[in-house]
Amino acid sequence: TPKPPAQIRAPKSSTTLGKTLLYNSGFKGDLTDFKPAEVFPYPEIGNEEAEEISQLVAPVEKFFNEEVDSAKIDREAKIPPETLNGLKELGLFGIMVPEEYGGLGLSNTMYARLAEITSLDGSIAVTLAAHQAIGLKGILIAGNEAQKQKYLPKLASGEHIAAFCLTEPGSGSDAASIQTRATLSEDGKHYLINGSKFWISNGDMADVMTVFARTEVVVDGVKKDKISAFIVERAFGGVTSGKPEDKLGIRGSNTCEVSFDNVPVPVENVIGEVGGGFKVAMNILNSGRFSMGSSSAGMIKKLIEMTSEYAATRKQFNKSLGEFGMIQEKFALMALNVFVMESMAYLTAGMMDRPGLPDCSLEAAMVKVFSSEGGWICVSEALQILGGLGYTKNYPYERYVRDCRILPIFEGTNEILRMYIALTGMQYAGKVLTGKIKEMKKGNIGLALGMLGKKLKNSFGSSVDLGLTGKDGVVHPSLAESAKKFEQNVGLFGSTVESLLYRYGKTIVDEQLVLKRVADVMINLYAMTAVLSRTSRSISIGLRNHDHEVLLANTFCGDAFFKNNYLMTQLQKHSPENNDANIKKIAREVLEKRAYVCSHPLERTY
Amino acid sequence: MFCPMVLPAFHHGGVYRVISEGDSFLRTFVSRNVLFPESRRDGSTMKCARCLLQLQCLRLVGQSARSAAQHGALLRSTSSSQPDMLHNTQVLRRFHGSPACAKRRPVPAEFINEDDKKRDKSLVTHDDLFEQVAKEVKTKATFNKVVDVFIKRDIRRRGHVEFIYAALKKMPEFGVERDLVVYNKLLDVFPKEVFVPRNFIQRMFNHYPRQQECGVQLLEQMENYGIMPNMETKVLLVQIFGEKGHPMRKYQRIMYWFPKFKHINPFPVPQQLPEDPVDLARFSLTRIANDLDAKVTVYQLPSTDITESGEQIILPHIVGIQSPSQMQLLAQHSPSRPVFVEGPFPLWLRKTCVYYYVLRADPTPPDEKVEEPFDPERCLAFPLQLDLDLDRDFGDEESFDVEDLDEGPVFAMCMTSQGDQAVLNQWISGLQQNNPILGQVPTLFRLDAGPRELQGPADTESAHQHRTDPGPQREERQPEEDEEPRRSQGAKW
Repeated sequence: TPKPPAQIRAPKSSTTLGKTLLYNSGFKGDLTDFKPAEVFPYPEIGNEEAEEISQLVAPVEKFFNEEVDSAKIDREAKIPPETLNGLKELGLFGIMVPEEYGGLGLSNTMYARLAEITSLDGSIAVTLAAHQAIGLKGILIAGNEAQKQKYLPKLASGEHIAAFCLTEPGSGSDAASIQTRATLSEDGKHYLINGSKFWISNGDMADVMTVFARTEVVVDGVKKDKISAFIVERAFGGVTSGKPEDKLGIRGSNTCEVSFDNVPVPVENVIGEVGGGFKVAMNILNSGRFSMGSSSAGMIKKLIEMTSEYAATRKQFNKSLGEFGMIQEKFALMALNVFVMESMAYLTAGMMDRPGLPDCSLEAAMVKVFSSEGGWICVSEALQILGGLGYTKNYPYERYVRDCRILPIFEGTNEILRMYIALTGMQYAGKVLTGKIKEMKKGNIGLALGMLGKKLKNSFGSSVDLGLTGKDGVVHPSLAESAKKFEQNVGLFGSTVESLLYRYGKTIVDEQLVLKRVADVMINLYAMTAVLSRTSRSISIGLRNHDHEVLLANTFCGDAFFKNNYLMTQLQKHSPENNDANIKKIAREVLEKRAYVCSHPLERTY
Repeated sequence: MFCPMVLPAFHHGGVYRVISEGDSFLRTFVSRNVLFPESRRDGSTMKCARCLLQLQCLRLVGQSARSAAQHGALLRSTSSSQPDMLHNTQVLRRFHGSPACAKRRPVPAEFINEDDKKRDKSLVTHDDLFEQVAKEVKTKATFNKVVDVFIKRDIRRRGHVEFIYAALKKMPEFGVERDLVVYNKLLDVFPKEVFVPRNFIQRMFNHYPRQQECGVQLLEQMENYGIMPNMETKVLLVQIFGEKGHPMRKYQRIMYWFPKFKHINPFPVPQQLPEDPVDLARFSLTRIANDLDAKVTVYQLPSTDITESGEQIILPHIVGIQSPSQMQLLAQHSPSRPVFVEGPFPLWLRKTCVYYYVLRADPTPPDEKVEEPFDPERCLAFPLQLDLDLDRDFGDEESFDVEDLDEGPVFAMCMTSQGDQAVLNQWISGLQQNNPILGQVPTLFRLDAGPRELQGPADTESAHQHRTDPGPQREERQPEEDEEPRRSQGAKW
């Protein structure tokens, strides 16, 4: 019998799934505290909302199919004004701005749905994202009422375009190297901003910018430099933008340097409090990422349509291309990736839409890493299906490949995000486990034996019961196998994290290769959760083609299970699969020489 | 067995008559040996040799052609008289003929006579031969000429072992100690085939030990100079000593180890060091610093000025090196503690010694060390530190290192031809342009007297000239005044 969609339980604290997962996986080993309610059942939207979405999606889809000439945008490196006007008329410049400020006031879930379509053109997607996912987000989440009243209506309508100015020549994620400075004028009414910012999306056309600059703040009687966020209008004067960067992809989006020369900014334009810019920046960046999952999914869905058309018609040796196993593999890969990305993206968006503004930055980061890398592989494989044709400019594939390459780079590079994912997890697990590990280090034999027993149990493939399957299980029986695999992975991950904390303690921050694997396992676990949850719901409510979903879910979980096991084996001490020491040594020697080290194979010594 | 009797007489013009008596033999002998020098052999094995010769004619055409041509060329260069030229062409032409043909048209015996007459008839040591030929200049050309003279003087190469030993000794003087071609040429002095064992008994015992030893010695000298033998060397060794002689073994060992050790030094010094002192300083400093970011600055080029009073002033070169991280270290240096200019320290580059000076400071005492406070608002993306009360497990602690000693930072290095305080002060002033902190930090000069005892006259001989005892590189370096204390201390504020 189909399960009635259970009431979504609002989490009591702000700890969300990813953290709970780690928190629990490291906790005592029995994981009694796992809250399946956070991810099971899969979040749903109400009927009203569903109707609203379908009303919205149709015209946007029509606009992108008929009015947007992506090839031209790419060629001329400019989005034509009429296209921009069309986007404004559709309200796409203020999707998440509340209705009282003139926006569409849509939820994160709806935003993700629209992102699926806007991503059909990379340049437009980036322009829109720079405008509302980061550009005006500061005002939206940290601005005061007056600021919202003043700026949001014009930004939501697209009359003004926003930009986010954080990056500087010497700084990426390093806030300490921000050089732009805001000094209070003598009358105390203005800040004067000086400095320049690099790689500012929409930098050329932005009218309103969120600028981060150093300000002098007195903390406990000591003068300190702290970052503050400001709303800067181009109209304030002194703002100049440089030549647009000539980029590999997303060529239609505008990226340039923006310089500030004694720009007077009224004190009321400080976002949040003076010196509180760091938190503002972090919140903006963390909240802007979740939509990349649905964007990538939308793009790959489109590519599947185009390439399958080709594979069905193109004949080789009297067989259509689709009959060849290696081509089939590519389609399966694309379908799997879309499925997982979608599941993760809408699970995350759904969790974010829950009341109480839960902090889902960890999940959003996992979605971003998974979908940007999956997207890159899929786009490249789609091009491969067409072979030489795909490599030409006659087809859009090469543009997709170029556009897609930015995904692992912007909004926090995947390397940085992996650090964030793993360290956030480690921090939570560490809080719980510190006491236990200290006891063990002191020589508590009972605990050590208990751990040994657990390790032995794990080595025989036993798993923990998270209550996913069985009589009261939240996972549909069709997915029981996959759920068991997930549980087994979670069990092993718990002891792996524990042993990592035992070995490295807080110095794990410097073990990037270890952290990368921890992050990868977490991403896989989250993806498995999302897939299981989504598919269970689909079966339960009888969605069309849910049997295909079961197929995809089981395939993905089986695959991820092996990957996780491999990664966790590598994380064990003295594991022969672990090549870390060699990898570091190779890199060290190469970097010492700053060149490839080996002699040429044709060289002789005698 | 008249040969042992003839050969000693052969060399000296005084007993020339003996040779005339055996003239008919000699003609045959000469013609054959000039034609097929590879098959030159003792007179006692003459008959045997002839048979072999005919075989070889077929087998070793390629090799014979090479060495016949070589010999022809040698003859052409050393002999000046017309008959010789004629003979030379004959030789080259006749090479294509069969040995029988050569026998019928022997070379005139005058060839040897004439050549011999020109030379000093007295017994001379081979060292003297070198001195004689190369009276003025000792170059590769003259060295080759000596070898040619020896080869041509005596068709039997009598005394070749002594000659080769002498030549080996003289090689460095002629600047050819690293020339493979010359070694091969020396090896070519050995008569071919003679020392190749021909049966198992000979093979069992040390066949022609002196010659083999000489061959090994030659290879050893090559080894000592790091010269790798080539295929020609191998062919020669096989021809002279056979496939399994001691020299061949030596060759094989060299060929086993040399390629393995060729790149054993990760910091190779080039064979030819830059001549210009500034270039040499640049090279040396880059080598010591071993930092790709380090920047070499020439603070002063060497020049000679003449003041109005006619006094000559020699301005020494000052070349310094500093890397960005050194600049940063210096910028962070506490101005309350002095920095030191120390030196000179020697640096050996092959046979050249250069001296450098460093700008350094004592290690920061532990109580003055300021640890950069952790800023939680540093990284926008992830926590740079975990808020955990757990340290690294002892089993994974790898930071312990007995060699990790705090020696204090080195901020910059320089080289100059004249390491007195005034010159080094100039260097510090130059450094100050990019390191303004040097204006506030007290600078102490702690200079050693320097390598006075090593100083020699400027060595300005031609490039090939081998220096047996290398003079110091800094020729212009003026000895410091005797009154000056060994460790002069001056402060620049």
